[in-house]
Amino acid sequence: MLFTTFPFLVFLVVVLCLFYLLPRPARRYLLLAASLFFYMAWNVKFVVLILGLITIDYFAALWIRSRQGWQRRMALLVSLAANIGLLGWFKYANFIRETWFHFAHAGAVVQPLDIILPLGISFHTFQSISYVIDVYRGEQPAITSYVDYALFVSFFPQLVAGPIVRAKEFFLDYFNWRPPTAEEWQRACAMILTGYVKKMIFADQFMLVADRYFANPQALPGLIPAWTGAIAFALQIFFDFSGYTDIAIGVALLFGFHFPENFRRPYLAASVTEFWRRWHMTLSGWLRDYVYISLGGNRRGELRTYANLLFTMLLGGLWHGASWNFVIWGGYHGALLAVERAVWGRKELRGVARIPLASLTFLLVCGGWVFFRAKTLTAALYVTGQMFSSVHGHSLMTPPHWRLAAAALVVALSEEYGSMLTKLAVSPAWLVTAVAVIALLAIEIFSASDQAVPFVYFQF
Amino acid sequence: MSGVLSLQKPLKNAVWWSVITLLAFFTLDAAIFRSGWYGKYLQPNSSTGIVEDHLYWLLHTPRVKKGEVLVLGDSRVAEGFSAPTAGAEGANRLKFWNFGLPGASVRNWYYVLRDADPDRHRFKAIVLSLERYTDDDSADNPPDRIADLGYSLGRLRLTDCRDFAMSMKSPERRQTALSGCLFKGLPLCADIHEFLLEAAARIKAADASREHGLAWMDGYTGIPENLTGLSADIEHGVINFPAGLNPVRTMSIKQSVLPVWAPDRGQTTAYRKLWIGRILDLYRDTDTRIIFIEMPRAPLALPDGKVPPRFLQSIAGRSQVSVIPADRFRDLERPELFGDGLHLNSTGRALFSAKLSREVFRVLGIH
Repeated sequence: MLFTTFPFLVFLVVVLCLFYLLPRPARRYLLLAASLFFYMAWNVKFVVLILGLITIDYFAALWIRSRQGWQRRMALLVSLAANIGLLGWFKYANFIRETWFHFAHAGAVVQPLDIILPLGISFHTFQSISYVIDVYRGEQPAITSYVDYALFVSFFPQLVAGPIVRAKEFFLDYFNWRPPTAEEWQRACAMILTGYVKKMIFADQFMLVADRYFANPQALPGLIPAWTGAIAFALQIFFDFSGYTDIAIGVALLFGFHFPENFRRPYLAASVTEFWRRWHMTLSGWLRDYVYISLGGNRRGELRTYANLLFTMLLGGLWHGASWNFVIWGGYHGALLAVERAVWGRKELRGVARIPLASLTFLLVCGGWVFFRAKTLTAALYVTGQMFSSVHGHSLMTPPHWRLAAAALVVALSEEYGSMLTKLAVSPAWLVTAVAVIALLAIEIFSASDQAVPFVYFQF
Repeated sequence: MSGVLSLQKPLKNAVWWSVITLLAFFTLDAAIFRSGWYGKYLQPNSSTGIVEDHLYWLLHTPRVKKGEVLVLGDSRVAEGFSAPTAGAEGANRLKFWNFGLPGASVRNWYYVLRDADPDRHRFKAIVLSLERYTDDDSADNPPDRIADLGYSLGRLRLTDCRDFAMSMKSPERRQTALSGCLFKGLPLCADIHEFLLEAAARIKAADASREHGLAWMDGYTGIPENLTGLSADIEHGVINFPAGLNPVRTMSIKQSVLPVWAPDRGQTTAYRKLWIGRILDLYRDTDTRIIFIEMPRAPLALPDGKVPPRFLQSIAGRSQVSVIPADRFRDLERPELFGDGLHLNSTGRALFSAKLSREVFRVLGIH
């Protein structure tokens, strides 16, 4: 059930109406049932998997709370093993097997195992892991109600592709629930609408360009096709993922839940470090808190800091997908972060001085996206080579695509420096209504396709 | 009600504003796509545009008292039938309308007829031209054909959306059909983009099509080429093509001379029962006669299909229905009368039109 389909909209309206009609104690059961239904709409069988993980983590946390010493550690290990083990099996078994065969039996043809990747497994396992670790660290009380905990993991707005919500954020709203204020409701609707515009108008248009190029890069040789293909994908993935997140945050807010921000105009970043503070913020925060800091962060000398950065980003890359392309993508970002830290330190620029650095950062990030998007390592290396080719070729982005990109840049800059969208979302209702009607009409007539296109991050 | 939502205002107001927003959007959407406003600027050659133009010509032509006959079909009719020739054959005692809508199916015919003849008294006869009488199931699964959305888009009312969507088979198609019917801008988005890029040229083309399209269609004489030299050993699946055919024509000949049928699941029978049944229901207890014809099927004589004409057998007894025998036009299934695998050429068009006219006069008892 994609966010951009009619069944989801019907589902949302029905669940929302029931939620506010039912007495308060019954609402958590409704939300849990709705979330499991949402999950089962994709695949009924895998509900056993998510409920199994929920059960293990729920009891592990209770065990950690009530025991001392090695028993606590054992409960933590069981929980981590269950989450990482299942994630590893479903996501990485084929990759590990192929890699093993590649080195051990060079030239052998490896038949991939028939494994279906469960929906949202990368997201809900990270969410569960953070909960159990937080309980272990004493930063989060163990949740005593199974229904409450199951809802935290499976809550449908964030189940498929985040944002990765921490237990303390979720339960702060959950245990102190109040209906959204009028302003929040208006903001939620504005976010949902913005998400649809981002996805159906922007992302799906740039997808057409990126797909055309990356389907067969050899057919479109040259520097300009390579760069415009990479830029198109950079824009596609941003609008796609941030669009999804906007819808998720907006939907959650309609139910009175405040999800954390996940994107803050990342392509305006003037360094790769800043980029990661603005891109998929809940994942970077998770990696920082549970990997980078656990490794010692920056407390153990410069060299160890660089190594920690590199390892954390390698893991982040691998989290996105099981292939060497994602490992290289993560390693590339880790290396950029380390180099930036060594050369640049923690300086922050303001004003027009940011422009050249923001442009450079964008190009560096685009270079990384090639590995993220290309089907194979060979294809990624070919495209990277073409980015420095002396053959020019032709732009794959047409004037309407550049106009879309320019419009997005203007909106991003006005939001960055004037909070335009934020102010608009809470302006007089008649104005919001007028803008919303225009946006809805724009979605209707400027959608790149009359059929729902899956979100990029659903594959992770 | 004040226009400002603030923290102090109750949530109820915000919800109301959300509802008002949706209503305002539906109103604007209806003003553009349901009032006929955008219909005036459709690309004339698009599936939606073709249907809308045909209806425009029909509905803006005064009724002819002596009687009118509507010939409904797909591109076989568009290419193979000439309304002026058919009229002239009967000394213009009847006015014929060519409603050959290339690519359209019987599902589309129903929606077209519903609006073409709102009071069900305009036509003395409606000729429904079937590709073949037998109910062989085709591989392309007609009930699930989403292209039908395009042909019927201009005719679909809000009250049709559920029914139209549910007439598709797969959940994906149902969803696409439902969303397209509710929000017509979605399936029309390519048309709209093209319109916005070259609005002046589109308006000119759309105006010209509405004003002169009927005359252009009546003046069209058909495909000049023929397929003389074509032969086939159908039993052994061998076709001998005449020299100089392009791949498109070759493919169309293969498809018509050696058709590939899906296993019989009764799909075509059910599909015809549903949609032609609705057409018959539209004209139940009226004076309009529904005439079925089987179009010349291919440039070579073909054996009959393997599945009996179950649908036609089921309606054979109805008083207002006439089924012209299947062999009536088979003498036209000759290479020299076809322009490609599916369509009669100009000579075939003239012969077929005259012959159809005579059949209609005979059925209606006009001497």
